[in-house]
Amino acid sequence: MSALPEPVGTIYDIGYRHYDGPRLGRRGAIAAIVGAGLRASFGLGRSGRSKIIPWGALVLALIPAGVAVAVRVLVGDLIDLYSYSNYLWGIGALFPIFVAAQAPELVVNDMRHRVLPLYFSRPIGRLDYVAAKLAALSLALLALTLLPVLILFAGRVLAAEDFAAGLGDEIGALPGILGSGVLHAVVLAAMGLAICSLAARRAYAAGAVLAVFLIGGVMAGTLQEQGRGLADLAPLFNPLAILDGARQWLFGGVVAESPVAAADLPLATYGLAIVLLFGVSLAILALRYRRVTT
Amino acid sequence: MPLISTRALTKRYPGVTALDGLSLELEPGVIGLVGANGAGKSTLIKILLGLLPQTEGEARVLDLDPATQGAAIRELVGYMPEHDCLPPDVSATEFVAHMARVSGLPSGAARERTADVLRHVGLYEERYRPIGGYSTGMKQRVKLAQALVHDPRVLFLDEPTNGLDPAGRDEMLELIERIGNEFGIAVIVASHLLGEIERVATWLVAIDAGRLLRTAPLTSFTERTGQLLIETDEPAEALAARLAARGFSAQADGRTVVADLAADGHPELEIYDAVRDEAISLGLALVRLEQRRHQLEDLFRVGGADERVA
Repeated sequence: MSALPEPVGTIYDIGYRHYDGPRLGRRGAIAAIVGAGLRASFGLGRSGRSKIIPWGALVLALIPAGVAVAVRVLVGDLIDLYSYSNYLWGIGALFPIFVAAQAPELVVNDMRHRVLPLYFSRPIGRLDYVAAKLAALSLALLALTLLPVLILFAGRVLAAEDFAAGLGDEIGALPGILGSGVLHAVVLAAMGLAICSLAARRAYAAGAVLAVFLIGGVMAGTLQEQGRGLADLAPLFNPLAILDGARQWLFGGVVAESPVAAADLPLATYGLAIVLLFGVSLAILALRYRRVTT
Repeated sequence: MPLISTRALTKRYPGVTALDGLSLELEPGVIGLVGANGAGKSTLIKILLGLLPQTEGEARVLDLDPATQGAAIRELVGYMPEHDCLPPDVSATEFVAHMARVSGLPSGAARERTADVLRHVGLYEERYRPIGGYSTGMKQRVKLAQALVHDPRVLFLDEPTNGLDPAGRDEMLELIERIGNEFGIAVIVASHLLGEIERVATWLVAIDAGRLLRTAPLTSFTERTGQLLIETDEPAEALAARLAARGFSAQADGRTVVADLAADGHPELEIYDAVRDEAISLGLALVRLEQRRHQLEDLFRVGGADERVA
């Protein structure tokens, strides 16, 4: 029997090595924060528990589109379960849940555990950090606000007997689909991060996000019960209704179930309200992060 | 081009002057920045990082202006803050790799260097566990690793031994010395503990209440004073008197005598013979006989500041 062969691998302490490869600077830094934020938004690289809400919300958001496409393929265009316009209003309840669960993951710990000085001592500015986090959460939200409607769109085009004619029929809706999706995602992300940036712990942040949406919805509901003049103002207390109104103002398409349809307000009011909502959210973020001491 | 230079650097907050006309020129090496808590050490570091605007004066780091080229500086320097700054729910590997990418490293290089640097600071298997469960010593190592991971040209360490036990302090100081000497990275280490700075620094900057006390090589802080320190086992007045009678200037203080090494009309080092002879004739046992050095602590003695400002 021959002796065992000599081990071939040996660990050497090769000492400290300098790095002379590329440095991507501010752009690389922002991309890294966006990427990490996107992963955090879906609980990737975290425990299974932190994946339940984001992936659950995504599945729930996609189911109606799947059903609608299936019905379309099987039954034809006799019944329309969902239109491009009312889809986001239909799944609207998922947005506050997703934002409440995931927005705190992106910002609260960096603030609470004073990680921010480590970010700010790298080649980014404070607003770069905020913009990167906002981009990350917006991109994550697009999975809810854009992906299902795109599936609906693809289903309709592919279910048409004549593909070219089908595409011709539906293509006109595409700008509205993209515009509505982006509008919802960006505004919801800005609101969510602004609320979370003021909270000391993730649980408080989640509660605060839910509170803002719930209280807004309840106030809007109560006002709607009141007389004429007050009921018209009702949608302005509900962030989701403001979003729907702004969507309708920009791209058209009435949603019968939305309070926007019931209220007698010029649609431009919603446009103004959304600009205000978005602007205030950004201002809160900018001021909050300017105040962070390093 | 000096590593760091400041000219009349001043930072005023409402009611407080944190830095008061600080002018410095520092060359690469391990530079100790000493001063009591609140002396302005952290303020100086933050201005040099471009995180805080100065009220007056100028600063340059690696020939860049922190006020306008802060981002370019921060790409080339590492910073370890004094306070806790680690998220508890991620592992050291994950966190340091992320910070490497935020420093601008591509993701492959970030992973590689993270593994290297964690090994250098002495974190092994535990690096895959969440930071929340680490000891203070391990957390300090992670803080150092994130400052080092992008291979900076300058490292700013703010009270790096804070909260460490004596063994942890020794290891941290040894690491700092290796970073400065072996890795060839300039290190600015701020501390209120002179004893620690003395062990690692080659150059010392002492500040007090935002003013520069002194900036010089460490050796000049502890250079010989030209005096001989004699310690005996009994009160030493008689010895001092005998030495004085022989023409040496000598003062007794309890069981010690401080005498000038050089005296008019005596050859160099003759005092040693005199001490020996007088001690024998007085029947005194000598406990210690050494040339007296300046103590770093002298810098911060009341009234010491005014004498030593350059």
